[in-house]
Amino acid sequence: MVRSFFGFIGRRGFEFVDTSADFFREISGLYYLTRSTLYCTFIEPLRGKPIKWRPVWTQMEEVGVKSTTIVFLVSFLIGVILAFQSAHQLSRLGALEFVGALVGVAILRELGPLMTALVMAGRVGAAFTAEMGTMKVSDEVLALETMALNPVKFLITPRFLALLIMLPCLTIMADLMGILGGFLIGTTTLGIDPVVYINNSLDAMVVKDVVTGLIKSVVFAVIIVMVGSYMAFIIEGGAEKVGQNTRTAVVVSMILVIIADLVFTSLFFFVF
Amino acid sequence: MSIELKLDRPAENTVTISVIGDIDMSSSTKVRDILAPLFQENNKAIIVDLSGVSYIDSSGIATLVEGLQWSHSSQSKFRLVSLTPGVKDVFEIARLLTVFEVFDTKEQALAH
Amino acid sequence: MIEINHLRKSFGEGDKKIVVLDDFNAKMEKGQITSIIGGSGSGKSTVLKHLIGAYTPDSGEIWIDGEEVSLLKGEAANSVRKKFGIMFQSGALFNSLTVEDNVALPMREHTELNESTIQIMVKMKLEMVGLRGAEHLKPSQISGGMVKRIALARAIALDPKIVFYDEPSAGLDPISIGVIDKLIMDLSHKMGITSVVVTHEIPSAMRISDKIIMLFKGIIIASGSPDEIRNSDDPRVQQFIEGSPDGPIPFSKSQTDYGEELKEMSQV
Repeated sequence: MVRSFFGFIGRRGFEFVDTSADFFREISGLYYLTRSTLYCTFIEPLRGKPIKWRPVWTQMEEVGVKSTTIVFLVSFLIGVILAFQSAHQLSRLGALEFVGALVGVAILRELGPLMTALVMAGRVGAAFTAEMGTMKVSDEVLALETMALNPVKFLITPRFLALLIMLPCLTIMADLMGILGGFLIGTTTLGIDPVVYINNSLDAMVVKDVVTGLIKSVVFAVIIVMVGSYMAFIIEGGAEKVGQNTRTAVVVSMILVIIADLVFTSLFFFVF
Repeated sequence: MSIELKLDRPAENTVTISVIGDIDMSSSTKVRDILAPLFQENNKAIIVDLSGVSYIDSSGIATLVEGLQWSHSSQSKFRLVSLTPGVKDVFEIARLLTVFEVFDTKEQALAH
Repeated sequence: MIEINHLRKSFGEGDKKIVVLDDFNAKMEKGQITSIIGGSGSGKSTVLKHLIGAYTPDSGEIWIDGEEVSLLKGEAANSVRKKFGIMFQSGALFNSLTVEDNVALPMREHTELNESTIQIMVKMKLEMVGLRGAEHLKPSQISGGMVKRIALARAIALDPKIVFYDEPSAGLDPISIGVIDKLIMDLSHKMGITSVVVTHEIPSAMRISDKIIMLFKGIIIASGSPDEIRNSDDPRVQQFIEGSPDGPIPFSKSQTDYGEELKEMSQV
């Protein structure tokens, strides 16, 4: 009994050591991949190996343009929901006309960047892992290496640049759509005077809100691309691994996006 | 690997180019740069002397094929002379020996 | 020329350690075709992975053109890689690119050639593998045999001095095998390319090879010209050539007794 108890503890202890070792190995792998991506994207072009923009354009269309509908829809609905929820609370305080201010600030500072990043983690992060994972499994990545072509530069850099540019753009559009959603509900269903709504909103929102939101979205872009790519590059073996790692990539990048959001929000809270 | 190209005009509207050295991925752009303007100058015949070439790779052959294309559109003659055995083999493997007008000596190429 | 000395490789640690290659020695001469043959799990693919720099050996040396390459990394490894071409078993064409872009990729990335020159070169390479006219197809639109021939066209895109073939004829029809065999022979004998073929197709290997190395469980059991292999009195070699199920190479991979294992199953 006692022995089995200690055996249990011991096994758990070893399991814990094993998992944490795995965890740190993953973190360091992610770190090295990110470092070499940053090197290939920003340092190498300065050393006379210019970036080819054609694959970047293709990826920008793939991750950006084709995501607009879903991002518009989600952020518009978030604006609508936010207006309803806040109206309920604010009307009890007799401050119904401040719905616009609350919706605007919440969207710009938090929900716009975060929701866009989460939608993109699901849509684009999964696609990155599935695409590159399939290439890994079918020896295409090895073929690149043996042709003396750097897979990081060839596969990750275009995706990295594309999302780095497109995620902030999508975030701005999501902000606008969210605010529009709130405005439509506020002025119709809630019966707030449009001029009052707009004035209150503009009084509450400042440029800093937009800027902090965009800084966050750049960080989110890095997380989504790097987790998606890393999960693809560590695949060994067959097709079922591609499916598993795609799922892991989405889950991990969503969690990391929210953790990063917390870190940056608290940073902005204390610093600015 | 360095390559040397010598231009000569033995007759009016006729140019010969003597290539000395290997024509490979790094040097065939040089051959192309010399060859391309010749087709703009109303030359009747352009003759490439390959006697000094011991090795040619597919980029070199592709460059010569481009010469053939240009000669076709500019209505001039494009001839190859004095292929070394190694070069001839490469043409044969690419199955392009019959596509070009090939002569053994420069004199034969000029006479035709 | 390629020279491999005392190459050793194992995977796993402790009890699970499996020696995949044990003291592998070979010399592949310029302009000759060397085939490495053996059953699955014999270590022949491991040799290839070492040659292309995908694995680092536990010990031993690999010399390519008078340069020790087994420990090279980064740019140094890449400069060696530009000397050779590889035809992968699956073809490993890039599915997002057309056939033309696949073959042109190494040329566009590694040379300063004009686009029009590159397009002619692509056409020449495709003509060599008998697929001129397939330029604008995607790899998903063509058959397996064609994918392999395109892969060969891509492998020889930069006129390499060394070409590695990983199972060039596996899964192909007899005519495609004949085409690929002839291509390998032409490239080696006429253009002086050093060819290393990893295969389990004995007839094809016998036909094209100048030298055959036969592997069994990571050890070289025979090495020599096709005739020497054919006349070998090693029963393992004979069994492999004849493809008979009975012989010193067991059909079953299991280590335990069949009957005992079945009896033990019921006790669990």
